Amino acid sequence: MRSPGLLLLAALACSAEPATFDGRVAQVLRDNCSQCHGERKQKAGLRLDSHAAVLLGSKDGPVVEPGNVGASELARRISLSPLDDDFMPSGEHPPLSPSEISLLKAWIAAGAPATTPFDSPAMEPAAAPPPAAPDYGPRLALARALAGELGVTLVPRSRIQTDGLILRTAGAPSRCDDQALARLAPVSDLIVEAELARTRVTDKGMEAVGAWKNLRRLDVTRTAVTSDGLAFLAPLQLLESLNLTQTRVDGRGLALARKFPALRRIWAFEGP
Amino acid sequence: MPAAPHPEGTDPCSDHGGEGPTVLDLPNVPMALKREWLEAETRRHFLARGSKALAWAGLATLLGRSAPHLLADTSALPDRRPHFAPKAKRAIYLFMAGAPSQFETWDYKPKLSGMFAQNLPESVRGGQVLTGMTASQAGLPIAPSLFKFSQQGRSGQWVSELFPHTGKVVDELCVIKSLYTEAINHEPAILTMTTGNMFPGRPSLGSWLAYGLGAINEELPTFVVMTSKMPVKQNVQALSNRLWSSGFLSPEYAAVALRSGSEPVLYLKDPRGLSRDMRQAMISGVSELNRQLFERVGDPEINTRISQYEMAFRMQASVPDLSDFSDEPASTWDLYGPKAREPGTFAYNCLMARRLAERGVRFTQIFLRTWDNHTNLPAGIRAMCEDSDRPTYGLITDLKRRGMLDDTLVVWGGEFGRTVYSQGTLTADNYGRDHHPRCFSMWMCGAGTKPGMTYGETDDFSYNIVKDPVHVRDLHATILHQFGFDHNKLTFKSQGLDQKLTGVLPARVIPEVLA
Repeated sequence: MRSPGLLLLAALACSAEPATFDGRVAQVLRDNCSQCHGERKQKAGLRLDSHAAVLLGSKDGPVVEPGNVGASELARRISLSPLDDDFMPSGEHPPLSPSEISLLKAWIAAGAPATTPFDSPAMEPAAAPPPAAPDYGPRLALARALAGELGVTLVPRSRIQTDGLILRTAGAPSRCDDQALARLAPVSDLIVEAELARTRVTDKGMEAVGAWKNLRRLDVTRTAVTSDGLAFLAPLQLLESLNLTQTRVDGRGLALARKFPALRRIWAFEGP
Repeated sequence: MPAAPHPEGTDPCSDHGGEGPTVLDLPNVPMALKREWLEAETRRHFLARGSKALAWAGLATLLGRSAPHLLADTSALPDRRPHFAPKAKRAIYLFMAGAPSQFETWDYKPKLSGMFAQNLPESVRGGQVLTGMTASQAGLPIAPSLFKFSQQGRSGQWVSELFPHTGKVVDELCVIKSLYTEAINHEPAILTMTTGNMFPGRPSLGSWLAYGLGAINEELPTFVVMTSKMPVKQNVQALSNRLWSSGFLSPEYAAVALRSGSEPVLYLKDPRGLSRDMRQAMISGVSELNRQLFERVGDPEINTRISQYEMAFRMQASVPDLSDFSDEPASTWDLYGPKAREPGTFAYNCLMARRLAERGVRFTQIFLRTWDNHTNLPAGIRAMCEDSDRPTYGLITDLKRRGMLDDTLVVWGGEFGRTVYSQGTLTADNYGRDHHPRCFSMWMCGAGTKPGMTYGETDDFSYNIVKDPVHVRDLHATILHQFGFDHNKLTFKSQGLDQKLTGVLPARVIPEVLA
């Protein structure tokens, strides 16, 4: 079976021309940067809507050092954690995708040519993405049996056996409580997403979730979880997205969550 | 009454090895009917087919839920796992039936303002045949949009003054201006958009997703359709359930259509005096009889019927909570507007769609009709936008602040575009537009689509596509991709073909519109 990476790559490769500045590089800059660094706005005195402007740099100096990715401010900023103050794009604009970042870096590494085509990374086989979780194959039957017993569901994210499992409770949210979360321990390293909205879980349940080391996304919308519960999530090194809509998590909890190393998205709509 | 023995050597039913009673032994049943039963699949035949035939495998899932004793072999279950990790868990499709004009909505054509009433240049039309509706006109006078456009949001996309609310979320939208289709009349065009084919009988997009993904919530249908109260009473186009049928897929994947009245599902309430227990006992009894029949004749439709009864029973519990909006915070009404309190309006349906999404419904399709402005377009389209602009904005904003836009795909669009020239008399403040399938505009947002961008380009007359054409098939392939499916691999064998949503002509995922 082909990996999703390859499928996506095939899709991208079909549309990819030999990379040039005017082609794909300009497209990436236009899509991600030119709202603030273009015709309408020139934040920091920087425009990124033409080759000359990119090389001209900002009021603080050059942003691209041809041939030297490490010394290029543009490459540095787009590669930072999205929570970093220097991260670009700023505001609510989503981060560049890994393939967009590698394209810009490849262009800089090739000497930031104005017209000469350069080797585009998307045209080469990309390294397979790191597994999200251990292979679920050997424990899928166990996970399903356990879930059935607890009145929740554990479903594979995809056919890729290292993409992990999603914990779902929407069918019978009232059946999922703190004790159910604790009992998932034997398969908890397989869980990469936990959909716990409207369940009966409380702060105590978060203590169990704090040990789910491969968890990327957690939704506790409309539960009794408070800031105290969030403290238990601090060990989660991979948690990217946290939905606290209609919970009792207050400013203290949000401040805690901001320190989670991988957290990129947090929602706290209709909080206290 | 003792069974009459059948004549030696005439029992064709090998399952019984000639021992024990067979269908032929049943008394008081016409022989022709007995023969028909025997020719039908028996359970043993069906099991022996194993996991190779997806048709049967789809059935096995149903049985896994409703009658586990029939199928102990779980290897016969269909593979409900997406091909790769999906971005979208659910979708809300706002279907603008009747075909909104692109000129007044999303395809800003400033050069037309200087060409009022000029005849459309022959070079643009390229000899293309006109429809019967406009072929007899004296000319093809250019009708510029009566409505103004302005650049909005950080993305600076051009937004029509008809969308004062949607304009506020334009940075979330991925507008595609280069959709095209082959169909020029409503029914085939809407069928193309909903099922990928202009002939009836194919599964709807939502049915494919239900088939491929299964349910998140067994208490509610996987695929729900709502039709909205019509803002105006002219140019009404019929909508029928073939737009949301499951085609050759099992009928369990068809949409459940919620009604636009105060009772979303008719006859869902038990009559007075009938207790929940009594209803349950009745359904169980009927299901058991149906199961016995299935064991004898093996017709998968029987299991569909069993599952429909059981789904209806579960919906008796889930629908009242779904349609009780009293738990909505005050901010909801500020967002969607006061009409969201009135069952059946587009605003109400948008709010309902969010509530369905929260409860795990995979695919909700809301139809809003009467965009078919052949005449009196300015007044008509103004009424349509006044009805739908605020709820559309409300839905996107609501999904976004609840953290649901990350994995909910929202799609807005009709079935084709409209002509640059006026149908009927063109005056300074009135005109109409005919059907035009060669280009039209749509937008998507959420679930990994690229926010704040425009894709595709039409010429100055929005007559032909000049850059990045997107066929309906490409749109479908892209939507399936966001749900983790390779559109070439999500197939179902029917009539000797591995059928798929995108059909046999080439289709491509559009990577440029994906973040």
